[in-house]
Amino acid sequence: MKILIDYALGGNSLPGLIRSALESLSLTPSPAVLIFTAALGSLGVFALNSLLQVGLTWTWCLAGQRMVCELTVDLFHRLQRLSLLFHSRHPVGDSLSRLSTDTWCVYTLTSGLLSPGQQVVMLTTTGTVAWQLDRELAALSLGLAPLLALSSILFGKRLKHRARLGREAHSRLLSFVQQTLTAIPIVQAFSREELNKQRFEHLSSDAVALSQRGALLNSTYSLVNGVIITLGSAIVLYVGGLRVLSGGLSLGTLLVFLAYIRSMQSAAEGLLNSYSNLKPVEASIDRVLEILELKDGVQEAAVPKPIQVAPRGMGVHFRLENVTFGYEPGQAVLKKINLEVHPGETLAIVGKTGAGKSTLISLIPRFFDPWEGRLTFNGIDVRKFAVQNLRAQVAIVLQEPFLFPVSVADNISYGRPEATREEIVAAGVAASADEFIRRLPDGYDTVLGQRGVTLSGGQRQRLSIARAFLRNAPVLILDEPTSALDAETEELLLKALEHLTKGRTTLIIAHRLSTVRKADRIAVLEDGTLVECGTRNELLRGAGVFYRLHSLQFLDSRRGVAV
Amino acid sequence: MKFWWLRLTRYARPHWLKLSVVVLLMVAGVGLDVLKPLPMKLIIDSVLENKPLPSAAAWVAGLPGGDSRPGLLALLTGATLLLFLIGWASRAAQRYVEVGAGSRMTYDLGLDLFDHLQRLSLRFHGKQPAGDLVHRVLQNTGCVRDLILTVYLPLLTSLVSLAAMLTVMWQMDRGLSLLALLAAPLLGLTIRVFAQPMAKRSYEEMRIQGETLALAEQTLTALPAVQAYGREDFEDQRFSNLSRRAGKAYLRTVASQLGFQVGTGVVTAVGTAAIICVGGLHVLEGKLSMGSLLVFLSYLASLYAPLESLAYLSMGIASAAAGAKRVFEILESDDTVRNTPGAKPLPTRATGHLRLEKVVVGYEHGRPVLHGIDLEACPGETVALVGPTGAGKSTLVSLIPRFFDPWEGRITLDGKDLRDIQLPSLRSQIAIVQQDPFLLPMTVAENIAYGRPGASRDDIVKAAVAANAEEFIQRLPQGYDTVIGERGATLSGGERQRLAIARALLKDAPILVLDEPTSALDAKTEAVIADALDRLLLGRTTFVIAHRLSMARKAQRIVFIDRGCVVEEGSHQELLRRGTHYARFHELQGGASLKAKEAFAQ
Repeated sequence: MKILIDYALGGNSLPGLIRSALESLSLTPSPAVLIFTAALGSLGVFALNSLLQVGLTWTWCLAGQRMVCELTVDLFHRLQRLSLLFHSRHPVGDSLSRLSTDTWCVYTLTSGLLSPGQQVVMLTTTGTVAWQLDRELAALSLGLAPLLALSSILFGKRLKHRARLGREAHSRLLSFVQQTLTAIPIVQAFSREELNKQRFEHLSSDAVALSQRGALLNSTYSLVNGVIITLGSAIVLYVGGLRVLSGGLSLGTLLVFLAYIRSMQSAAEGLLNSYSNLKPVEASIDRVLEILELKDGVQEAAVPKPIQVAPRGMGVHFRLENVTFGYEPGQAVLKKINLEVHPGETLAIVGKTGAGKSTLISLIPRFFDPWEGRLTFNGIDVRKFAVQNLRAQVAIVLQEPFLFPVSVADNISYGRPEATREEIVAAGVAASADEFIRRLPDGYDTVLGQRGVTLSGGQRQRLSIARAFLRNAPVLILDEPTSALDAETEELLLKALEHLTKGRTTLIIAHRLSTVRKADRIAVLEDGTLVECGTRNELLRGAGVFYRLHSLQFLDSRRGVAV
Repeated sequence: MKFWWLRLTRYARPHWLKLSVVVLLMVAGVGLDVLKPLPMKLIIDSVLENKPLPSAAAWVAGLPGGDSRPGLLALLTGATLLLFLIGWASRAAQRYVEVGAGSRMTYDLGLDLFDHLQRLSLRFHGKQPAGDLVHRVLQNTGCVRDLILTVYLPLLTSLVSLAAMLTVMWQMDRGLSLLALLAAPLLGLTIRVFAQPMAKRSYEEMRIQGETLALAEQTLTALPAVQAYGREDFEDQRFSNLSRRAGKAYLRTVASQLGFQVGTGVVTAVGTAAIICVGGLHVLEGKLSMGSLLVFLSYLASLYAPLESLAYLSMGIASAAAGAKRVFEILESDDTVRNTPGAKPLPTRATGHLRLEKVVVGYEHGRPVLHGIDLEACPGETVALVGPTGAGKSTLVSLIPRFFDPWEGRITLDGKDLRDIQLPSLRSQIAIVQQDPFLLPMTVAENIAYGRPGASRDDIVKAAVAANAEEFIQRLPQGYDTVIGERGATLSGGERQRLAIARALLKDAPILVLDEPTSALDAKTEAVIADALDRLLLGRTTFVIAHRLSMARKAQRIVFIDRGCVVEEGSHQELLRRGTHYARFHELQGGASLKAKEAFAQ
């Protein structure tokens, strides 16, 4: 543009191109017109430039965003499929931190990829030019380059390590906040607010200290690099200066050479800077990949067998053979369990709390795989089936109801999303839940509060029973399905259960003998071993553990009647 | 939301010293940038061209070795190195202080938000997903750092250089300067047009991010159900939809920012073009020399640079505003259970005389769960609450530690309205065993001592023994120091419940609330715990919700609740004799046992 001003104001003759362009517009190239042309031209250049900028930024953002999105979705996909063993060891907060923050770091990777390319080009071109200009000085200036590589190797690991520590500190804080917020009733009941505040302060101070130390390390790295680079150019300056003094080099050449060195320096600095930015990202990527590549206990068979769906009303035959399993290495919860459940049978599992009952039934839908022994489903090892396929055969009522913040109907049809409203209502009725559901503000369309808080414990349990009923699977597993229910509701439910267990293989964990009474057979667990198994009468006659358990509760209830 | 920036600025106050250091270092950095090329210039001029040293630098020659040209060269080369080192050190210090102060401010705001959240009533928490709250506490609180470090500090430096540029230009050509300044109101207009949508879109982006995190949190905490019902694909779908929406929201924010940047660019480009036109005409008329115009144009660039960066600050303000909005939404929600002004702590241990007078409460407006409950518990009395599930029993006991307050009516403790007692003092008088044991991933000992963090190991063990938990704790790999998995996942239901009972036992409070304390226990364990509970109940006012009537029988008084009303109350015998609600309940359970008895007799 300034050149145009020269022509307009300085009266220089115009380059042919512009003159012909103006003439074609039938304008005489008077100075005033030229000024306007200059102004318009400057606008044009701006427009072109900003168009380019906008396009570039947009493309990068789009690409980066896509990458992050896909990575996050993949991570979530994997996290959902990891066994419950993994999740019992890793706080939800940690997984959340990986999902929300670590994946986002990848975004900085995309934006950081553009400049190093430019810098490499810059470095090689100026390098060659400088080499041709003066070999000795070029060699001197490049002589310290290996030191840069050395410092990068030395610091790279530490930078990554620091970043990882920082990420972990943040993840600990996130876990703490998440845990506190999910346990808020107990926090308030036990007045832990002040202590929690201190803990938050403590954890956040850790995170601050770590981020500061990270910044310090980063600065040290750039100092070391800076010293090396400046030392290099100081040597060139000194040696070159001496040669100029002795007349071996012209001042002009030295100046030109120094200018080249400066642009090489800034390119090198930029490159090293990208490197030091990359290292923390690497730590985050590691945290994501760790999960994605984790070899977990429950693994899909390479060629999963299709499951033979039992004909309706037959149930499934399954069998535990020498099953040993525990959560912590060396601490077996189940020890060499042998148990067979026949098609259509109802088996009650009883035993003291902590005997391993819930763990035993968790093996059936493969929440975990046994350490030793195997589990067969109609004679085939369950590990040969596709996990999804296997779980489709099982309906389960867990001790904790696990409701979702969606409508009541969606909660009931969680295991069978295609169910019609009639089927949902029928399941609600069977689980004695229909009556209270109809009293909710929008009936079956009422959206539940977070974790079903506005429902009572018994109501939540009934919804989870309705969910299992609707699932209509050949295997039904019930883990203390009536613990939170009053006697009346329990009685109703047990009646409904009688219908449901017909033609299904049912496993039921129960403390109340009223539930156990309806089972075909009873298995008694004690300290992770199967001590008795048989019909109720057989066990009572045997006068073993079950007999003792039974008489205890029986006496208790008799006392109740007598008082 | 008004004056949010002012409220955020409060968080910078404790760090004013550090922040002024940052400003000083920023200025020093600029000074050093000016100084840096100086030794170089001296080398060329004085060493290589052999001109005499300028008087300001004559002292260099006086240094040892400064008298010869190679010596001077070495000295000046050293000076380059030194200047560089100082420059680095100041930059490092600036960054160190900035990172420290920035994250400290963020966490300070996060702490306030976290603390406020802890004090919000359970009604609030019943509706708000934990994942979203986590996002607000840890992510959105970054707004304070953004505001202070990327808005306030650059604002300061931009304003200074703007003022400097303006004075210089004003002296050169007033007309042109005024013309150049015309850009300022135009920029203001651009900011006005774009600021609102930028803030809105940032907010939207953060909202969806929060939603995504909430979904992830819900899915991962309910994973056993997700896996059992094979809904992983469905949850994947929901998650990927949300995170795609989050991505789109982010791109929308970027788009509005790009639009804004182009807008400011247009304003300055038009400004420059206008100056070229008018200035050019001035030159033609001979009012201005061409050289002056060129200089003016270059100054114009330096004027517009800070002006543009000032405008860009509004992008920072917009996103800080969005974060601040999400933070203050919570900080300003007053669904807390508040002390009335002048609330006092209880002077001594409460005797435990509790009275509910015409209490009405519910979770949603117009749908009360309890309809005018009147109930009295005398010191040391055990009151059992019996009734069908969903009758409002858990809601009733939640009112005692003031998890929320009644809509109508009042509750008194030793004759004082609960609202007139300071909350921590009130809650220290109450121990609770809830339906959900809510264990935390700490050691067993820490979990038991949750309500009395200073408790000695002896006391902890005693509580565990009394709750019949000692035996299974001893069997854990590290005994009392075993860290419990997430939500007690590796303990059985009964073990978790026993830890919750031990926790309540250790608190040793005059009022005890038991919400189905034995529902997950087998008969034998229940019998043992019942003994422990007998000891625990002595001398305490106890509310116990029980489905098993063996628990209820122990109570001096049984209150039968149905659909939020007390339908009958009296002792076990009285109610049985009356033969209505409770008797029917009793018959059902007793009947079952009778059948068992018959079977047993066979």
